[in-house]
Amino acid sequence: MDSKLELFDDVDGYVDGEMNVPKTQNNDQIGQPDFNTLNEPIRDTIFRDLKAVGIKFAHVLYPKEKRALLKEWDLWGPLVLCTFMAMILQGSSSADNSHDGGPEFAQVFVIVWIGSMVVTLNSKLLGGNISIFQSICVLGYCLLPTTIALIICRIILLAVQTNLLFFIRFTVSMAGFLWATYASMVFLGDSQKPNRKLLAVYPIGLFYFIISWLVISHTNT
Amino acid sequence: MTNLQEVPTEELLSFQDYPTVHNNRNNTTIPISEAQINVENLDGNFRNSPGSQRPTSSPNVEDTDPVSSKSFWTLEYYQKFFDVDTSDVVDRIIASITPKWDNTLKHHLRTKPDLYGPFWISVTLIFTIAISGNIANYLQNANARYHWKYDFHLVSYAATTIFLYVSFIPFILWGLLKWTTQINDVEGLEEEIVPGVLELICVYGYSLFIYIPVSILWSIQINILQWVLVLFGTFISGSVLLLTLLPALRLSRHKFLLSLGIVTCHLLLAAGFMLYFFHVPGSSSTVQPTFKPVVASNQTTH
Repeated sequence: MDSKLELFDDVDGYVDGEMNVPKTQNNDQIGQPDFNTLNEPIRDTIFRDLKAVGIKFAHVLYPKEKRALLKEWDLWGPLVLCTFMAMILQGSSSADNSHDGGPEFAQVFVIVWIGSMVVTLNSKLLGGNISIFQSICVLGYCLLPTTIALIICRIILLAVQTNLLFFIRFTVSMAGFLWATYASMVFLGDSQKPNRKLLAVYPIGLFYFIISWLVISHTNT
Repeated sequence: MTNLQEVPTEELLSFQDYPTVHNNRNNTTIPISEAQINVENLDGNFRNSPGSQRPTSSPNVEDTDPVSSKSFWTLEYYQKFFDVDTSDVVDRIIASITPKWDNTLKHHLRTKPDLYGPFWISVTLIFTIAISGNIANYLQNANARYHWKYDFHLVSYAATTIFLYVSFIPFILWGLLKWTTQINDVEGLEEEIVPGVLELICVYGYSLFIYIPVSILWSIQINILQWVLVLFGTFISGSVLLLTLLPALRLSRHKFLLSLGIVTCHLLLAAGFMLYFFHVPGSSSTVQPTFKPVVASNQTTH
């Protein structure tokens, strides 16, 4: 009986030590969850996630800090961008025009997701030092410049087409392509050995070039 | 107790919820991979001459020994097919468009056949053909007041043809070489000269490189120029193919038939591309049947 009581006393003391809830320290830093989300409104939780996505978009548009996108990957941004592009790029589905030239909704999806997976797999096979989802996250977020180019091209397409307007569309989507490639190079460039950097960068460039080609070729139907 | 808790709990929690942070800080992953590389280095140095700096320059058989023990389903198993540097790939591409008698390409590819070049050259060729095929289509209709639409589905056709060509033809050729090779007195000599499937895929993949610039030029709508480009591309890469495979072909009983088959396949591929993707659209319905025999005739011509 005595020994039992002693044991109980020991355990009691141990549990008492672990019950302390850690205090939140970095509340002022937006985008870094503080993990004490039990007693905050759902609205705050959703807004914090949205802010994290928005901050990542800002990092893509102004690629300066290298580690910004690699920390805490998520796939929300790529999903939104990919769905948006697929919706705009898909060919018309009217019955009389069966052989519309544009890609189907699913084809854009497949190109974006399978493409980024193949590019990621390529850099892993070359011996790159990056996790698969980090790389897919970066490649997806870097679609933002090409999406902006697509929106601009779509607005230009509302006007009557001339050669000058085609040239403007061409320039815009090429700028989107270069921007996307540069941004992803900033984020992913360090993961490869220097003598293999070109081998890893070339597929990334090809990926964004193909998507820019889709953007340029998209016309009113 | 409280002092100890305050700092590491956050770290611990962030570890659990975001596994990438774990990767990011390189606490554990890097040392492991370095350790693996070091082990391979040790093995390479142990077996090779001490003069060679890096184990990647060592012969294929000895270098892949520690890697081939990896399981078929892991990523590391496939890393040996992508173990190339930028300079290697550039060297091989240059070698694939300059026919030489001294068989340098054979030695390049014999030491370490890779799949990086064949795969990305094929992918590039697919999209180059699709894009410039669309440009050609646009140029054909530029004068007429025709509402031009781009055809995304060219990508699927090009992808099917090219991947079939790069994967199946080397397998068929490998089988034919294996079966028609005359049995020599020296067994070891034969084993060295008959190339493996991987080497054949590598040679075929790099031999497609010449078609990338050619397919861009194909979009120029001059009939004679298109045919000249077909012959030029076939001549360049077909001769490299033949020169590379010459030692193996010499041993075969049907060496003339085999080399004729290789060149014919290459020519049919080029002509099929040109006729289907870049030629005048009026004949597209008649071209479709002639394009199909490209694959079918590959077996018959051997």
